Amino acid sequence: MSTRILSDFNLLIPETVDEALDILDRLQDKVTVISGGTDVLVAMKFKFETENAMSVAKLPGMDGLSFDPDKGLRVGARTTIAQLLNFPEVKKYYPAIWEAAVTFATPQIRNTATLVGNLLRGSPAGDGSCAVYALGGSMVFASKSGEREVDIDDLWVGYATTARKPNELAVELRIPAPSAGNINAFKRLTRVNEDLAKLNVAVSMTMNGDVCEDARVVMGCVAATLVRLKQAEALLKGAEINDESLAKMMSAVEAEITPIDDQRSTAEYRKMVSGVIVKRTIEQARQRA
Amino acid sequence: MNKLAVNLNVNGRNYDLSVASNKTLLEVLRDQLDLPDTKYGCGTGECGACTVLIDGQVVNSCLTLAATADGKAITTAIGLEKDGQLHPVQEAFVEETAVQCGYCIPGMVIKTVGLLEQSPEPNEAEIRHWLEGNICRCTGYEKIVAAVKSASKKMTNAGVKAVG
Repeated sequence: MSTRILSDFNLLIPETVDEALDILDRLQDKVTVISGGTDVLVAMKFKFETENAMSVAKLPGMDGLSFDPDKGLRVGARTTIAQLLNFPEVKKYYPAIWEAAVTFATPQIRNTATLVGNLLRGSPAGDGSCAVYALGGSMVFASKSGEREVDIDDLWVGYATTARKPNELAVELRIPAPSAGNINAFKRLTRVNEDLAKLNVAVSMTMNGDVCEDARVVMGCVAATLVRLKQAEALLKGAEINDESLAKMMSAVEAEITPIDDQRSTAEYRKMVSGVIVKRTIEQARQRA
Repeated sequence: MNKLAVNLNVNGRNYDLSVASNKTLLEVLRDQLDLPDTKYGCGTGECGACTVLIDGQVVNSCLTLAATADGKAITTAIGLEKDGQLHPVQEAFVEETAVQCGYCIPGMVIKTVGLLEQSPEPNEAEIRHWLEGNICRCTGYEKIVAAVKSASKKMTNAGVKAVG
């Protein structure tokens, strides 16, 4: 049983990005980066031990949140879930992110947790991560050797493992401007809102009337990482969206996922509901169009 | 472990402190500043007993490293009282008898202040959505929701802001 008391560690709070990059370069994987800290501090109260922690609390230039019709959405590393909820362009152009944010944990956590932190945590249940994965985009990492942009499709390499190198600091998330005809939505299954999801889904589709020209479909809590449902996407692409095409897509979803039993749900239940949740998420997106 | 120098403004008073790297804001409030009104519940950001305002925003103090709150203004339940007058939210909780054992109440009161600051006239659905993350094991929440409504009415009628 944990005491839920933080064990000893060395805390570094750099005040410039250069200083932060020096620390990462020197300590490599011996330092844990803390932004909102709502996840990593809980882990540290239980079993995760770290010799050093570096907080980004005082780094300049990490609070950015902007939208440009050409460049899309830019989300700074310290931008909180609550700030995204209150940013009108998020609700307007990226409702999937807004829907993930509105049921994201609790108001206290929304005021502290960051979207970039959610992605870097690499949880297969991350709500913000699920929405962003469907929309596509990239994470910008800084290191002493310059900046590197990693496509969201290459960000998660395994359970709780990302493509971030030990000397890199995530500085910004970039999400492209929505294409003409884009619709997107997010949906999650839980017992109560505060719980982690049993299953979460996000879709982003380019529609031409009733015909789907392009689709990204993401599901969480059904594998070691969030997964894109490539077969479902292939079935949607080029199809007219109707009961028949949706039924085909639904059976593909069930075959494509590999969920497990855990404290929040069972593999059997997750399989059983997976298809219909994708269908409802698509309907949710289409109702807005 | 290292120690860090921090300046905290807590309930309007300035403190220059040296805090251990692994101390949460909750621990510093309770043990170093002798302000036990903010409670320890779960320690993992689920129950809301430790809720405080940091620069006017509701935050779990059990998940905030004290050293990272350097330079911030913190309000705890006891700091809501002004010149011997309870805050209208505190008054409403008393009048509606929204308190049974009382353990969750400082967190509930601070949470309500945070809500009314950004949404002075919330409807019931908004109130219940906002109170997620604050657990009360006694009341069944009915009287707490009634107290939030009553506080909202009081403050709107009197033209008072939540964070004064």
